[in-house]
Amino acid sequence: MEYVIETENICRFFGEDDLRAAALDDVSIQIKPGEFSAVIGPSGSGKTTFLQLVGGLDNPTSGKILLSGMNIAEMTNRELSDFRRDHIGFIFQSYNLIPVLSAEENIEYIMLLQDIPASKRHERVREMLFLVGLEGLGDRRPAQLSGGQQQRVAVARAMASGPDIILADEPTANLDSATGASLLDIMRRLNEEQNMTFVFSTHDRNIMDRARRLIHLHDGKIESDEIK
Amino acid sequence: MLVLKLAWRNLFRNKRRTLLTVMLLSFTLVSLILADGMIKGMQEDLVSSVTQTLSGEAQIHKKGFFDELDEKIFIAKPESIITQILLNNDVEAYAPRVLLGGMVASPYNITSGLIYGVDATQETDISKIKNAIIDGAYLSGLKREILIGKPMSDTLEVSLGDRIVITAVEVDTDEISQELFRVSGIFEFGLPELDNSLSFININIAQHLIGLNNGIHQIAVRFKNPEYALDPEHSFYQEINQQDLEVLSWLDFNPSIASLIGMSNYATIIIGSILFLLAIFGVVNSLFMSIYERLYEFGVAKAIGTSGSELMSLVMLESLLLAIVSCVLGAVLGYFVNSWFAINGIHFGTYEVSGVVLQGIHTKVALEQFTVLPLCVILLVLVSAIYPSIFAARIMPVNALNRSL
Repeated sequence: MEYVIETENICRFFGEDDLRAAALDDVSIQIKPGEFSAVIGPSGSGKTTFLQLVGGLDNPTSGKILLSGMNIAEMTNRELSDFRRDHIGFIFQSYNLIPVLSAEENIEYIMLLQDIPASKRHERVREMLFLVGLEGLGDRRPAQLSGGQQQRVAVARAMASGPDIILADEPTANLDSATGASLLDIMRRLNEEQNMTFVFSTHDRNIMDRARRLIHLHDGKIESDEIK
Repeated sequence: MLVLKLAWRNLFRNKRRTLLTVMLLSFTLVSLILADGMIKGMQEDLVSSVTQTLSGEAQIHKKGFFDELDEKIFIAKPESIITQILLNNDVEAYAPRVLLGGMVASPYNITSGLIYGVDATQETDISKIKNAIIDGAYLSGLKREILIGKPMSDTLEVSLGDRIVITAVEVDTDEISQELFRVSGIFEFGLPELDNSLSFININIAQHLIGLNNGIHQIAVRFKNPEYALDPEHSFYQEINQQDLEVLSWLDFNPSIASLIGMSNYATIIIGSILFLLAIFGVVNSLFMSIYERLYEFGVAKAIGTSGSELMSLVMLESLLLAIVSCVLGAVLGYFVNSWFAINGIHFGTYEVSGVVLQGIHTKVALEQFTVLPLCVILLVLVSAIYPSIFAARIMPVNALNRSL
C-alpha cells in the first residue's frame, strides 16, 4: 500500500444555487504511511472539512477518497463505522472523553467495540497509559484530570485500536504552550517508534514547526504542499 | 460489562431528571398496584357478599327447578347426594333447603312471599341469616318459629311473638295447606329484594307444609377455596351433573355480577392504559432530553467507531436499568400502600353495586401485582425507548460534531 490517504479531486459544497459555498474545491492529496503532516490555513479554509472527509465522517460532493486503498464511497454505514473503529484514530480539540468513564475505561471502550478479550484490553490500556505518561492516573475520571492529561488520554484512546491513521483537529488549541509541546513530543515519538500516520489540522506554530509536511489550504484549495 | 457500567453511570449524570423519571415510573406502578388492588378487593367483597349472604357458592337442584321455580321439581331422596358431598374434600359446608311460594298473613294484613325452609344449624355455615337478625333470635329448631324481614313485619304490622299464617299448596295433591307460626326474629340484610319478600322457617315444617316428606329443593354449598366454584371441570361439578341434578355456580344465578366483574376488569385495563400513556410521554421526553444533552458525545462515539446499533443498545440498556430501579422502588412502595389499605380499607360509606350492599373497599394484595405489573412497566419503558434509541442510532457524526471535527 503506497498511500494511507489518497484523495482525487474532492469537492465539498454546502448550500444550493446562489447560496452554494465551496468548503473544499478540487483537492487531491496523497499521504504515505508514517507521515507527520499538518493541514494549515486560516479559519474557513477547509481544514476541518478535509479531516471530516478523510475520516469518513462526511461524504464529498464529488471526487474520490481512498483510505488504506479502500474507496470509502463504496462502504455501507456499518462498514464505514467498522473501518473508522479499526483504521482511524480521532483526537478532538476539546478532548471529548466520556465523562462517566475513568481514563482507563475511556481507552478500553474502543477495544471493547473491537471485541478484544478483556485480558488483552487491560494489558493494552496499561501500555497506552505508560506511553502517554499517565501511569497511576488510570482510575481518574476526566473531570479529575487537567486539560493536558485529558488530551493525553484522548491520544491513548485514539491509538488503542491500533489505527493506520490518526486525525487530530487542533489538538493543542485548548492547552498551554508547555503542555501542548509535551503532548506533541509524545505524538512525534509514537509516530517515529510505531510508524503511525498523523494528520493535524492546526494553527499552532509548534505543530507546524514539528510537522514534516505542511499542506496549506486557502478558500478550500491547496495553496501549497511543502515537504520539509 | 463496560457498557453496563457506562449505561448505569449515565443514569446519574443528571440526577434530578433521573429521579423525576424514576418517581414518575414508580408512582405509575404504585397507582397500577393500588388500582388493581381496589378492583380486585371490590370484586372479592362483591362475590363474598353475594355468595355469603344467602346463595352460597354453588347450588344443587333437580334439573328444571332453577328455570321453572316449580315446587314440584324436588330432590326426593337427597341422602345419596349428601353422602357424595360429604365425600368431596373440597366442600367446606352445605345446607339443604326447601323453597316454597305462599301467602303470609297476619291478623292485620296479607302479603305474598318466598319461604325458605332451612336447617338452622347447617345454614349458619352458608348464609348470613343469623347475622342479619336485628330483633329477636335466630331459628332454634322449634316448630312454630319464623324469621321475617323488617319491611315485611311493617307490612304485616307484626312484631316478635305475633302470629303469622302461611298458606301454600301441597306438591302431590295440590291441596291448600296452612300452618301457624309466631314471629321469632326480624332480619335486615339491607337488600330490599330479600328483606321485602323472604321468610325463613325450619326445614322439617316446610317439608311437612307442602308434603315433601324428606324431599328438598336446593342444597347450597360453600367450597374450601372459592375459586373451585368457577371451575366447571372440578370433580364436584363433574360427579353431580351426571345425575338428574344440575349444579350451578354463583355466576350462573348472578349473571349481573358476572357482567359487573367483567366490566371492572375492563376498568382496570382502561386505568392502566391511561397511566401507561402518561408514563410513556414522560419517559420519551426524559430519554430525548438525555440524548440531546449528549448529542455531541454520541457524535464522538460514532466517529470513533461505535455503530448505530451499539448506541441503540446503550440507550435501551439505560432505559432498562431505569425501569428496573423504578419497578423495585414502585413495587416496595406499592406493597406497603396496598397492604395498608388491605388492612384498614378505603372508607367512603355504604354503597350498592348491582343490588349488593358494600361498605368501603379493602384492597387485595396479589402476587401478579408484583410480577406482571412491573414487567408491564419494564416493557412499557422499553417500548418508549425504541424511538429515542433509533434517533440516537441515526445521529450523523458530522452533524453532531459540527462544533469541531
